Amino acid sequence: MSGFSFLEFLQQIINGLTLGSIYALIAIGYTMVYGIIGMINFAHGEIYMIGAYVGLMVITGLGLFGVHSITAILLVTLAISILVTGSYGWTVERLAYRPLRGSPRLVPLISAIGVSIFLQNYVQIGQGARDVSMQPVLTGGWRFGPEGGFQVYVSYMQVLIAVITVAFMSGLTLFIGRSRMGRACRACSEDRGMANLLGIDTDRVIALTFVLGAALAAVAGVLVSMYYGLVNPFIGFIAGLKAFTAAVLGGIGSIPGAMLGGVVLGLAESFASAYLQTEYKDVVAFALLILVLLVRPTGLLGRPDVEKV
Amino acid sequence: MKTFSRHVLSAAVTTIILGLGSAAHAAEDTIKIALAGPTTGPVAQYGDMQMMGAKMAVEQINAKGGVNGKKLEAVVMDDACEPKQAVAVANQIVNQKIKFVIGHLCSGSTQPASKLYEDEGIFMITPAATNPAITQQKYKMVFRTIGTDDQQGPTAGRYIANKVKPKKLAIIHDKQQYGEGIAKEVDKTVKAAGITPVLFEGINKGQTDFSALITKMKKDGVDFVYYGGYHPELGLLLRQSREQGFDAKYMGPEGVGNKDISAIAGPASEGLLVTLPADFSADPANAELVKAFKAKNEDPTGPFVMPAYAGVQIIADSIKATKTEDAVKIADYVRKNSFQTPIGKVAFKENGDLKEFEFVVFNWHADATKTPVK
Repeated sequence: MSGFSFLEFLQQIINGLTLGSIYALIAIGYTMVYGIIGMINFAHGEIYMIGAYVGLMVITGLGLFGVHSITAILLVTLAISILVTGSYGWTVERLAYRPLRGSPRLVPLISAIGVSIFLQNYVQIGQGARDVSMQPVLTGGWRFGPEGGFQVYVSYMQVLIAVITVAFMSGLTLFIGRSRMGRACRACSEDRGMANLLGIDTDRVIALTFVLGAALAAVAGVLVSMYYGLVNPFIGFIAGLKAFTAAVLGGIGSIPGAMLGGVVLGLAESFASAYLQTEYKDVVAFALLILVLLVRPTGLLGRPDVEKV
Repeated sequence: MKTFSRHVLSAAVTTIILGLGSAAHAAEDTIKIALAGPTTGPVAQYGDMQMMGAKMAVEQINAKGGVNGKKLEAVVMDDACEPKQAVAVANQIVNQKIKFVIGHLCSGSTQPASKLYEDEGIFMITPAATNPAITQQKYKMVFRTIGTDDQQGPTAGRYIANKVKPKKLAIIHDKQQYGEGIAKEVDKTVKAAGITPVLFEGINKGQTDFSALITKMKKDGVDFVYYGGYHPELGLLLRQSREQGFDAKYMGPEGVGNKDISAIAGPASEGLLVTLPADFSADPANAELVKAFKAKNEDPTGPFVMPAYAGVQIIADSIKATKTEDAVKIADYVRKNSFQTPIGKVAFKENGDLKEFEFVVFNWHADATKTPVK
C-alpha cells in the first residue's frame, strides 16, 4: 500500500455504491416480507437469480432482432423480467407459504428453504448448470483526474445502476407511503389480525408484498446481467445471503433500513478490499453486522418495538 | 401376529433385493471405468474435455475387440468439482465395485476422493488435477497423466521473471487448493529471481465484483497480474479491468484456458498468457485420433482431452499385459512400465507423477484460439 490517495478513495466509494445498490434492491424483498408476515423468505435469492436469467435471455433475444437502443433494451427487459419474476414470486407465496399460514414459524421457514433448493435445481435442469455469459450492451464512461495519473472512472453502467435503483426505491417509498394499497401494507405490518378485522384483505396484501419484492429482485437481476454479464443457477445463494445481511444490518422490517443496509454493506466490502485485503471483505462485512447488532439489536433503522406475534 | 407378518414381509423383501443384487453382479461381463469429474457447475467445460477424451479411448479400444475379450464400459459420475460431492461419488464407485477411475478433475475434489480409492484398492488416474499434494500422500493407487503445479508454477514464474520483467507484479488467487497452490509456486519462483510482488491476495470463489481490487491495483501502478484459479473469476476480472481502464497484462494456469474465458471477457481476453500442456492435437503422431474427434464434431485441442485418453489406454494396456483386473497389481505394473500414448511415451515415478511433463506458455486470443509464445 503506497500512501493514501483521495482519487482512489473516491473511486472506491463509487465501486461500493454500485455494489450496494444491487444489495439494497434485493434486500427490500427480504425486509418487506419480514415486515408483514415475520418470515424470512429464503427463496428470495433464487427469485433474483431467475430475474437475472430472464434479463440475459431477453437482452440476447433483442440483440438477435437487431434492437440496439439502450432505452428500448432496458425498458423491454425490465418489463418482461419484472412480469416473469413477479409471477414466480406470487406463485411461490400461493403454493409454498399461504397453505402454511398460521402454523408455527419454523414451518414456513423450512418451506422457504425447500423452495430455494427447488428453484435452483429447476433452473439448473432447464437452463443447464453452466455459466451463461453475455457481452456488455452499454460500455464507456467518464474519466476524471490528471492525464497519465490515477483517473477516477465512472462507467455509464454504474450511473445507470444508481439511477434505476433510486428511481425504483422512490417509487416504492411513494407507493407504500401514499397509495391505498400501501396503507394496507403498513396496516398489516403493524398488526395483521387487526387489519383483517378492519376489512383489509390481508392475503392480497401479502401476495402483493411478494410480487413487489420479486419485482425489485428482477430489477437487480437485470442490472447484474447487464453489468457483470455472467449468470449461473447458483448466483442467488451468495447474493441472497449478502442482501439478507444488508436487510438485518439496516433493521429487518424497515424499507429505508434495507436501502441503507445495502449501501453500508457495499461500501464496507469495497473499503475492506481496498485498504485491507480482498480476502477480508466478507470478514469485515459480517463483523460489521455483529457489531451493529450488539449495539443496536434492531439494526440501524429498525424500530425497537417490533414484536411479531 | 401383526408384527410377525411384518418380519416375514421384510425378510422376503430383503431376500428379493439381495437376490437381485447378486444376479446383477453375475451378469457383469464388462470392465467398468468410472469417469469422475464435473459435468455440471461452473467448470463443467473441463469435465467435457475429460469425458470426451476418455470416452473416445473406450470406444476405440472396444472397436478393436476390447480387453482380454471383455468390453470397457465408461460410467460417468458428476462431482461438480465440489470436494464434498467428490467423496460421495467416490463412495458410489466403491459401492458399485468399480476398480478403475479416470478423475477427478479439480485438485480440491481429487484430494479427498483419492483417500477412499487408496483405502479401497481402486486404481485412480487423474488427467487434470495438478496440485502437488495429491501425489505426496505416499499412496500406491493414485496416478496422474498431467504435470504438477510445481512444474507449471515455475514455468510461469520463470517466464514472468525472464521475459516479461514487470515493474510491479500482482498475484491473485481464488483460495482453492489448486489456485492458491499454483499462485504460491509462482510467488516463490519470481521471488527467487529477485522480483517481489507488490500484492498477493485471495478472492472468493464465485465472486462477481472485483472493482475494488482493480482500483487498488490501478492505483499501485501494477503492470502484470498472475491469477491462480479458474476462468469464471478471471473472465470477470479481465472484463472489469478493461472497463476501468486498468491495462495490465494477465497470466493464468491451465484452469483458465478454455473458450468460455473469451465468452465472458470478450475482447479483454486478447493477449492473456496461459500455461498449458503442449498442444498434443498438433502432434503428427495423433493425426488419426484428431480426425476421429473431428468426425464426431468434437474439439481435441482442450488441455485434458489427450491426458484422459492416455489414462484409459494405460489401464487397458496394463490389464492386457497382466491378464488380471486386480487394481493393486495393475498399479504395480503401471509404476514399473512405460506406455506409448497420445501424450507421448509416459512412465511414472514412485509417487504416481509422470517422469516428464512439459507446460508451454500460450498467447490467448479473443476468438478463443491460442498460439504458443516463442
